[in-house]
Amino acid sequence: MFSRSSSRLRRPVLGAIALSLAGALAVAGCSSAVDQAAASGAEVTEGGVLRIGDGADLTPASVYSGGSTAQLAITGLVHDTLVRYPADGLEVEPRLATAWEVSEDGRTVKLTLRDGVTFHDGRALTPADVEFSIRSYADPKRAGQLARTAALITEYDTSEPNAITLTLAQPVANLFDLLNIVPIVDPNTFTDFETGKGYNGTGAFRFVEWKPGASVTFEANEQYWDGAPHLDGVEIVIVPDAQTRISQLRSGQLDLIPSIAPRDADQLASDPKFTVVEQDGVERTWYIGADVTSPGLDDVRVRKAIAYAIDRDRILADVYQGHGNTNNLPWPEYSPAFDEDLNTTYTYDPAKAKELVAEVGSIPTIPISYTTGSVESEATAQIVQADLEAVGIPTTLTPLDPATNLKNLIGGTYGGLWITAHTYAQFTPITLPTSAFPFNADKNTSNFVDPAYQQAVNEAWTVVDPLGPEAAASYEQLNALILDNAFVIGLHNSEALFASTSDLHGVEWSKKAELDLSDAYLDG
Amino acid sequence: MSVVTEVTTDKDTATGSDRTSSWAALRSGRGLVGAVLVGLVVLAGLLAPILAPFAPDQQIPGAALQAPSGDHLLGTDSVGRDVLSRTLYGIRIDLLVIFLAVPAGAAIGSILGLVATRYHWLDTAMQRSFDLILAFPTIILAIALTMVIGPGVWTIATVIILAEVPVFGRLTRTAVLTVRQSPYVEAARAIGADEGWILRRHVLPNCLEPLTVQLALAMSVGVFIEGAMSFLGLGVVPPTPSLGSLIKEGTQNAYHSPFFVVGPLTVVLVLVLGLLLISQALAARSRQR
Amino acid sequence: MIRYALRRLPSALAVLAVGSVVIFALLRLVPGDPALILAGPDASPEALAALRHDLGLDGSQIGQYFSWLAGILTFDPGRSLILGGDIGSLVLDALGNTLILAVSALLVAIVLAFTLSTVSVILDRKWLNSAVTAFGTVAVAIPNFVTGAILVVLFGVVWAILPAGGVPRKGFLDDPGISVQYLLLPALCLALPIAAALTRFLTEGLRSQLAEPYVTTARALGISRRRIVLTQALPNALPATVTVLGIQIGHLLGGAVLVEAIFAWPGLGHLIERAISTRDYPVVQVMLLFSVALFVLIQLATDLINAWLDPRIRLGGRA
Repeated sequence: MFSRSSSRLRRPVLGAIALSLAGALAVAGCSSAVDQAAASGAEVTEGGVLRIGDGADLTPASVYSGGSTAQLAITGLVHDTLVRYPADGLEVEPRLATAWEVSEDGRTVKLTLRDGVTFHDGRALTPADVEFSIRSYADPKRAGQLARTAALITEYDTSEPNAITLTLAQPVANLFDLLNIVPIVDPNTFTDFETGKGYNGTGAFRFVEWKPGASVTFEANEQYWDGAPHLDGVEIVIVPDAQTRISQLRSGQLDLIPSIAPRDADQLASDPKFTVVEQDGVERTWYIGADVTSPGLDDVRVRKAIAYAIDRDRILADVYQGHGNTNNLPWPEYSPAFDEDLNTTYTYDPAKAKELVAEVGSIPTIPISYTTGSVESEATAQIVQADLEAVGIPTTLTPLDPATNLKNLIGGTYGGLWITAHTYAQFTPITLPTSAFPFNADKNTSNFVDPAYQQAVNEAWTVVDPLGPEAAASYEQLNALILDNAFVIGLHNSEALFASTSDLHGVEWSKKAELDLSDAYLDG
Repeated sequence: MSVVTEVTTDKDTATGSDRTSSWAALRSGRGLVGAVLVGLVVLAGLLAPILAPFAPDQQIPGAALQAPSGDHLLGTDSVGRDVLSRTLYGIRIDLLVIFLAVPAGAAIGSILGLVATRYHWLDTAMQRSFDLILAFPTIILAIALTMVIGPGVWTIATVIILAEVPVFGRLTRTAVLTVRQSPYVEAARAIGADEGWILRRHVLPNCLEPLTVQLALAMSVGVFIEGAMSFLGLGVVPPTPSLGSLIKEGTQNAYHSPFFVVGPLTVVLVLVLGLLLISQALAARSRQR
Repeated sequence: MIRYALRRLPSALAVLAVGSVVIFALLRLVPGDPALILAGPDASPEALAALRHDLGLDGSQIGQYFSWLAGILTFDPGRSLILGGDIGSLVLDALGNTLILAVSALLVAIVLAFTLSTVSVILDRKWLNSAVTAFGTVAVAIPNFVTGAILVVLFGVVWAILPAGGVPRKGFLDDPGISVQYLLLPALCLALPIAAALTRFLTEGLRSQLAEPYVTTARALGISRRRIVLTQALPNALPATVTVLGIQIGHLLGGAVLVEAIFAWPGLGHLIERAISTRDYPVVQVMLLFSVALFVLIQLATDLINAWLDPRIRLGGRA
């Protein structure tokens, strides 16, 4: 018994010593995990795997409607679209379609398809593929933003081998927005597309593998019609925490972070090893929505008072470090609906706000909803609350998790104000009021139903040329109605920023923030 | 996430008159240190209106996330509010949690545990219900409840009560069952005392000891739960400050304002440390007897 | 022994059954459903209805409960609605990662606790006792999400010697040296509170054993303190410690949610958090049921171990 007992002492102590020795050896002796990870990113000029870090994983069921990096990589890297807008303009450029003819009355569109385009499995592109892609996008359960536009296509003529002719129920001003967004998919492998097992497209990169919760990998498509990419492959690494992403970028384990907070961006930009790029053309419009059927907000004077009460400059400066521009209307500068004067209709004028409030009398406490999980959202909400209180409008904050927020957004059940961001203002102006739910004329989150607004939207939608004078007149009308009724109160446009290692060059992007890596390369 | 340890007392044979001397544990050594620490924090929270240099929701434009300075001893947060003032006012939420929610959970749990010992079928049912509650990870319960009820102080209180009821229920039940088997209770029964009298005169006073120890422990768990919930964005609704939400903001902005988190973290540490020391002192005292 | 085990089974099953109903009901109470997530912010009510029908969410609740239950009982958990893939492989992958983390954390905690408590009780020096007590108290007081953040900033950024998060890109078995480096910080973060609680408990347990009469006898016989602690006091202090360990293991999943979030560890905690925020009903249901089942199993196991270690429990039926 005594001999056994002495070994009993040694075991835990010995074990502890052994473990610490092993640990020390692991850290000092063998290669460092940090170095290994860093080395794989800084290889050669031609080649290399670009590692992108983002928090949200791929959700196969939302590839058409989602905006996460993984979703955008599937549509942007693996698939192509028929046409493309440059990021900061609205002039249509050819992609899989090389030429197009729009009839006088705007109801027939013929698109000529590019020769020599093949899918990743070797099969050549046919007009039937294009028809299938647009039809599947139009299916309401796919929840594509421009499904309503796609639903207006009544006939597809695929009789010619290299062209497709679309017949529309009415002239549609934002048809090319649709053609810019719909990814051309392969009908034969569509069940894989829906479940995330495989993606067969015509794009610059092939889909390799999806490890749920961990990564999505792509490799270069050497047979790409626009020339093989320089990179060997792309890997999207799922890193849920923003701080971890930044520290992984700093330590060389990641090469690019597609969404980065403004403060972090400024800090990274001051280090020459990193580059922060403003994605011109990718607009995120922040606004305050008002449920016009809820107590207090049913009086347009209160809504206007709110519009005057908010210090937009302070929000932009304190929360977004000046990355963006304040506005009343969501349109970017190059948009045909942009109007410099109208954009400053509501400036920071607490005196005027107080006047309006005094006119109305007593105002009940109004709830302000916002989505949790974002430092910027929370800060903006608190500044808005303070500003409104200063002019005599009492409010309470209601933080909601994203799913509950969606429920209220789609159902119009906020019962007060809400703060959120929306994109799609960077496209043809009519896309926002027809596809974005908060701005929709027939049924929107504000429960704002107004025949004048509906008519204005309809007029703008049935215009043939979205950049012509007829369209311009209809946008003026639209803008006036949005501003006068103040059911959505614009705050500012924030810029989309991404941070990357300075070794990365040649990154471009689409209006939807899909990264275009076909010409990107990493320095040695 | 949280540490819930139960102190088993199967050797406690003191009678009711020894009850008062358990507080003597707090008058020296670890107990005293713990009591002082907790007292300091409580005082700071109660005197917040006097001690805080700014109002807790006073936003100063342009002064976001500043480092500690003469004006702002602990710096400012992302909308320009003074962190020191918010910390002091934030203590109040934790005081609410510690001195209202936890005792409420303890009381409910103890009563349930006590009642359960009366009938065997009730006992089994209650045990299994407690098991069920304990089987759900507290954090998941917190997430689900917040989504159903909405965030806020009441939700935090509900989660804490739900977390504490099974613990106190089991503790009370074990203590009661043990005391019931002791010789002096048998003797009391032999001379014809009824159950109610035995309960009041013998069982209850002797159960108080382990319960008090567990209570101090539970209070530290309560601070934890509040902190974790606020850290995940489930806790108090802004702009109300709480220690947990301040720690969350501090760690979120660690790169930009590294000293932000120091203030609230220290307060939480001192508070939890004090509560744990008190519980240890009480446990040591009960063990001595 | 077998009879004791069989006696405990029916109530364990009852907990599982009630648990499944609670899980199902709780999820339906939470506002929002997976159709909303898939629909996105611009969905028309028609899109929403189509999605709901597609996902099978528009039948009766009771019908949905029973069809889910049928799936579980035939070991077919079904497909995830939003996260993608079939739930079986999703959960297994995540489970593997969490197990690696949890087991490492437990090992670290147990080694740390045993070493600290036995050494401090054997040597019995005032400064050592104070140090160990301090560790036991402070390490429990600091929330694990804070230790995690501090560890990441210190070791992952300031002195960039350990990876700031994630798992080895080529798998754990490719290079154990690398794997240890990825494992070190998250395991430590998860282990600290457990190690602290165990240390405190074991130290107190050992000390109260040392106050027992048989120890006085042993000392009178001239047996060294070291031997008494390791061969007599330790085995007697074990049952209570095992119970505490059981409870700690039960808390691991909750701690894992936060630690996995900080270190980007793709395990169960991360999976369930994502599933809840995207209202992926099937995944959440399966995982919660799994958690309840695990808890019940661990309770059963610790009860059985205690019954084996302490014959009085087995025979006397002291609950």
